[in-house]
Amino acid sequence: MSLLLPLADLVWLVPVLPLAAVVINGARVLLGRATGDAAEPLTARLASLAAFGGLAQLLAIDGLALLHGAPGHRRLAHWFGNGNWEATFSFMLDPLSLTLGTLTALIGWLVMRFSANYLHREAGFHRFFIALSFFLAGIQLVLLAGNGLLAFVGWEMCGVSSFLLIGYAWHRPVATGNALFAFVTNRGGDAGFLLALGLAATWLGSFEWTALSKASQISVVNDRLLVIGFVVAALAKSAQLPFTAWITKALEGPTPSSAIFYGAVMVHAGVYLLLRLEPLLVQVPDVMIGLVVAGALTAIYAWLCGLVQTDVKSALIFATVFQVSLMFVSIGLGYTTLALVHLCLHAGWRVWQFLLAPSWLVITRERPPPPPAWLRSNQLLYTVALQRFWLDKLSHTLLVEPTQSFARDVRALEEHFIDHAIGQPGQGKPIHADRPLILADGLPGHLLASLSDVLQHIEYRLQLRGKGGTAEKLMHRAGAYLRTLENLLEQPRYLMMAVMATFVVIL
Amino acid sequence: MSAEHEQPIRERLAHWVEHLTHVLPAQAPIRDFVHHNTLHGFQHLPFTEALAAAQALTGATTYWPESRFRDCLASGRISVDDLSAALLDHGVADLDRPLLRAFSRRDILLASLMVGVEVPEASRQGWLQRETPLGDDLIFAHFFRLTAEAAVASRGPEENAENSASAWQQQALTRWEALRARVGKTWTWRSLLEHLSDEDVLERVRSILQRHLAAHLDLGVAAWRNPAQGQGFFAAWRASAGLDLAWEMDELPNVRDEILHLPPSPIDVLLEELPRLLPDEGQWYGYLERLSLEIPGWSGMFLWRDRNPGRGDGTPVAMLDYLTVRVLLERLLTDDLLRRLTGGPMSVNDLGDYYATHPAEFLVRDALRLPGLPEDLQSRAAHLVDLSRNGHVDADAWRHLAAAIAPLTTSSRASGTAWQLAALSRQLGLTLADVETLSADELAVLGDCANTLLPLQRSQIWLLAYERHCREQLFSALTANHSRQRTPATPSAQVVMCMDDREEGTRRHLEEIAPAVATYGAAGFFGVPIYWQGLDDPGKTALCPVVVQPTQLVREWGAVGTELIQGRHAARRERRLQWRERFYQATRRRSVAGPVLTALGGLPALTALAAVTLAPGWFGETARRWREKYDGRVATRLGLTADRASPATPDEPQLGLTDGEQVACVDAFLRMIGLTSNFAPLVLMFGHGSGSQNNPHLSAYDCGACSGKHGGPNARVFAAMANRPEVRAGLAAGGLIIPDSCWFIAAEHNTCDDGVAWYDLEAVPESFQPALDTLLGQIGEACRAHAVERCRRLASAPVRPLPWKARQHMLGRANDISQARPELGHATNAAAFIGRRDISRGLFLDRRVFLISYDPAGDDDGRIVEGILLAAGPVGAGIALEYYFSTVDNERFGCGSKITHNITGLFGVMEGADSDLRTGLPWQMVEIHEPMRLLVVVEQTPEVLTAILKRQPPLQELINNEWIVLAAKSPSTAAIELFCTRRGWLPWSGKAVLPQVGRSVDWFAGESEALAPALLLGDERAD
Repeated sequence: MSLLLPLADLVWLVPVLPLAAVVINGARVLLGRATGDAAEPLTARLASLAAFGGLAQLLAIDGLALLHGAPGHRRLAHWFGNGNWEATFSFMLDPLSLTLGTLTALIGWLVMRFSANYLHREAGFHRFFIALSFFLAGIQLVLLAGNGLLAFVGWEMCGVSSFLLIGYAWHRPVATGNALFAFVTNRGGDAGFLLALGLAATWLGSFEWTALSKASQISVVNDRLLVIGFVVAALAKSAQLPFTAWITKALEGPTPSSAIFYGAVMVHAGVYLLLRLEPLLVQVPDVMIGLVVAGALTAIYAWLCGLVQTDVKSALIFATVFQVSLMFVSIGLGYTTLALVHLCLHAGWRVWQFLLAPSWLVITRERPPPPPAWLRSNQLLYTVALQRFWLDKLSHTLLVEPTQSFARDVRALEEHFIDHAIGQPGQGKPIHADRPLILADGLPGHLLASLSDVLQHIEYRLQLRGKGGTAEKLMHRAGAYLRTLENLLEQPRYLMMAVMATFVVIL
Repeated sequence: MSAEHEQPIRERLAHWVEHLTHVLPAQAPIRDFVHHNTLHGFQHLPFTEALAAAQALTGATTYWPESRFRDCLASGRISVDDLSAALLDHGVADLDRPLLRAFSRRDILLASLMVGVEVPEASRQGWLQRETPLGDDLIFAHFFRLTAEAAVASRGPEENAENSASAWQQQALTRWEALRARVGKTWTWRSLLEHLSDEDVLERVRSILQRHLAAHLDLGVAAWRNPAQGQGFFAAWRASAGLDLAWEMDELPNVRDEILHLPPSPIDVLLEELPRLLPDEGQWYGYLERLSLEIPGWSGMFLWRDRNPGRGDGTPVAMLDYLTVRVLLERLLTDDLLRRLTGGPMSVNDLGDYYATHPAEFLVRDALRLPGLPEDLQSRAAHLVDLSRNGHVDADAWRHLAAAIAPLTTSSRASGTAWQLAALSRQLGLTLADVETLSADELAVLGDCANTLLPLQRSQIWLLAYERHCREQLFSALTANHSRQRTPATPSAQVVMCMDDREEGTRRHLEEIAPAVATYGAAGFFGVPIYWQGLDDPGKTALCPVVVQPTQLVREWGAVGTELIQGRHAARRERRLQWRERFYQATRRRSVAGPVLTALGGLPALTALAAVTLAPGWFGETARRWREKYDGRVATRLGLTADRASPATPDEPQLGLTDGEQVACVDAFLRMIGLTSNFAPLVLMFGHGSGSQNNPHLSAYDCGACSGKHGGPNARVFAAMANRPEVRAGLAAGGLIIPDSCWFIAAEHNTCDDGVAWYDLEAVPESFQPALDTLLGQIGEACRAHAVERCRRLASAPVRPLPWKARQHMLGRANDISQARPELGHATNAAAFIGRRDISRGLFLDRRVFLISYDPAGDDDGRIVEGILLAAGPVGAGIALEYYFSTVDNERFGCGSKITHNITGLFGVMEGADSDLRTGLPWQMVEIHEPMRLLVVVEQTPEVLTAILKRQPPLQELINNEWIVLAAKSPSTAAIELFCTRRGWLPWSGKAVLPQVGRSVDWFAGESEALAPALLLGDERAD
């Protein structure tokens, strides 16, 4: 027991170690140290060492927890907050988190080891390991965090690294387009997560999982709203309907990243979130029914689509979505232990199957048996399945295109208003027709120009009036300073600084 | 359309499809990957012309970039002498005539090649002048002044008329005509529209088409096929596309109606659609060709299945179906893009009229990709084009920008001249004083002379120099080795291996370890073209070069008396495979069994993953042992002999070979490799194959002479035949006497893990046992030494390992599922020697040379070598050229990096889940390759070779068209002559000085790059 608690309080190392690997490897890349064959082993070793460190620590905690019981919720430090609510650095070390954390650490470490050979001499070798370490840190944060806010940080880290790895082959338009698609679609889930966190802060004054599970203090209506936020987040991350389309487009990255993200680990993050919120969930049976429905619909969708897939990775991803949807059904029906066991075993099997996807020619012998006859000859259903229920197109129209046009509007705003207001270097126009040398553009430019006008005016007058006096000397000196200042301000970076300073003062 | 008109066009269409086989990739489904010349369709052309044609047609680069060659020059891989000789080889005339003072054409061209033709953009030049020492470079300043003056002088009058609108109109019109003329030749409409709108219709076409194509061609991934699939691709696509709501979602509402009302025959549709795209019938073929080449991988696979109906799964595949859908989609989607571009319905053929009335818009759009357009204008143009896609752009905005751009599109780009002249002068060693005395005429001469070489010619010269460097090394090695005849007089064993370049290493090490062993090389099917069906194989496999169709089937049976074990073995093996199948297939498609099996498989899978990641070699061996233990071992025998000949076809082959056929096979093969007397106690037939994990391109590493399969069975069959008393009697009757003191054995070398599998050792008579034990030890040692040599080129392998350690590494590598480079295959292959081993024995050739045994002594009329050339020439050329093209342009001719590959339909790989089908070799296989044509050195007189060449058209195509380089090594003297199509046989006269080392390992230890040949002294040193 004496060892367990100190060890448990060091659990923050599990996500921080991969982050440290990210920082070191990132610095090496930025400093130009990570080039050539010679730099590869260090990058790969740092990343897998960090992953192994996390695994070893979790295994140690597991061992002690088996002997002495799990440490449970550990609050390590205050983060920020005000009178009404508080965010903390806290970790949850109950059987659920420890099981999944350990499994993830193991899979993460193995995939790191796998990638070291697989990506040898790739142009994006270091980039890949940085993104993968970042993901590992993120997912461990999700799994081990003791409160929703910290978990949300990890949640976002997973999203970003997923974006980076789908777009790994950034020179291919399909890859970058799909990365963007997945990223934007996932933001729908994040909105749910954020909403739930905001509500939790307002109603419960805390983000702690422990506090959330005691949500019986609040009314059922509020409880339902809170849960729905989390459920939307879970549906999006685990690619359940109506969000499924993103995961089927996420297979552009290298095979190991497909395996860990979409085969084994990240796709289960939504299931974990629901398992974590089980006490909250059972209070709102109608949401649980909703889960069963969403899961069942996804299962039908994934099963039908899976039948017509012709490439191995797509076939596997639909199979994955199918089984994850069964986990949602089990949770909806209240069989949470079953869902947890299913999750762990599924992750183990699927990571293996995904990593062996290039072996498909060798490990399969014949075409899988066709579906029943009534289905086989249905041209409409076949088309629907082949086109994946048009979900990717729908999501594109409903989510990606509005985002893109919003971005366009922002850009137009910047071009037509902000750019003109700020002004651009080299685009100045004369202000006075009689003084063509004084050029200015934008609001600050004009301001400066008129300021210097005034100053010059004063100088001119003083010089004329007080010729030979101290005032002239002082003025001369001040004039020199101002000229220097003006010269500096004319350079764009100081101009920007001046603008920023103005904004800071205003705010 | 009337019947008489229809007939010819149908025939023409069929002819066009036939013609497409020349330009599309001809790669078979990936399970049967066999190396072949990537540009096989151009093989009737001379090499340089073919490369130029392919480059023009596909846009691929067919040579390494010049910068790469210049790096080689800097590193010494090419010398200046090579480059100078290459100029002569290329046929540049008047090389030594002084052109400019003391400088000859040769000097100027060499300088030009060394400095390159790449000139930085004007803006970059300006930056270099301001920010780098270039600003202080007086030579450059001098030329810059000169050319600036000249440019000012030459301009002037043009400027006035430029701003008037009619000038633009004219300019736009001419430009439009130029672009329009490319459609059907080098462009399709989609390329033209992409050029103008920055939007690529092809992305959408591919996305729409790819799922249907993959579903139609699928060989075993999908469980559910299109119900209309049996009626062909067009019908299947139409049935699905007519129900597809995606058209509406893509805002193409009329398309579904159009599809529903299409005529049922694809040809009618094609003939309806083609005139809409191009009224001129003469351009149709060109257009279809371009369309196919836009998605070469899918088009090629479709065509391959069209041409090889028997190799599919029975689904009808007709290329015309594909072309029809492709043309239809092209028309529908370009119409849609046009509608969005011009704001109204329009056909592509009216686009010219539209732009004639909107010249400003056209100019801006066209200028978007204009090289040398200032960045700010470019970004403004891009912005306008982008804006027009999402809304309306004011006509004034176009006009305004066009006014800024129009003058720039016509101005000449003189700024490059100064750069080039300065670089040339520096390379030629001219000082500022020299330069200032050069007159304008002299400068013109300098510039013109440097520019006489076209880009492709320059690349060709670099390639010649690159090849020559390697060739010189090999020639001097052969010459230096000439008098060192080393084959042992009474060999302790004779080992016959595949001609494969990788086996050069094994043979060399074996000879170093056991100087009394003689080795031979031949195409790895050992002259036994058979179908093979192993004990566990469900069907027969052809084990012979891909052009040969065997008519005999050899089966492997369980040994007599083991029927019981056999039955159990078969049942258990079947059960194991069924469970494996269940696990991998059911977990992805069964709704109930899937989750159950997943749950069962989860823990074992995780354990297996941990084991194979941490200790791949151990895991692989253990898994293999467990499999074997479970299945049970069965002693096997060959179903070798047929009692009598029967009429056999490739489809219904004869079971076994008759005595006569066996005698003929053995006799022909032994005579071919020159092993007709002086038989050692043991003759080892040593086939090869490669075993690696998680590798879709597995068969590309196997024996090319066995159609990308393992060559072990051929070796085993040959040895069994040669040991039969009946066969020996037959051979003796033909004058080939194999004494009773000689026994043939067989084995297979795994080129990936350097392991050896032996066959039928229990059948070896007792008297040979001591010799066998010795040989087994020697072979094992040689393979370990070979593993050490292979380690030097692998980054993750230990440096300077001990032999056992190297072998451990190779074993791990072969079983490692994460290894994208299980071995390096044929990378760095460079030459083929056809002759006695004496000419190359004792040379370190760095595993780069195909070694084919042939004894010129008994072959005065060249019949034997003719056969060898006919068989080995295409195989070697296929391997070398596939590596060549996959190396020079891995994006177009190769299949890119393995790491994002995704197996599709069991016939190919895509990148990710939505891309073209990728053909050719992955980048991981060719990254260290040196792209060169194969140098074939034959130990025979030029006269005999000339005669052979005269009577063999296939060889004329390869050799006269310079797809391979031929040289003759005199059988009696050290003389070598090189064959040149233009100049005939050229005697070689180079220095024959070579580094000398004791053993191979002394030469390669610690080196990781390609190594030059060296003489191995071996035991000589001890003398």
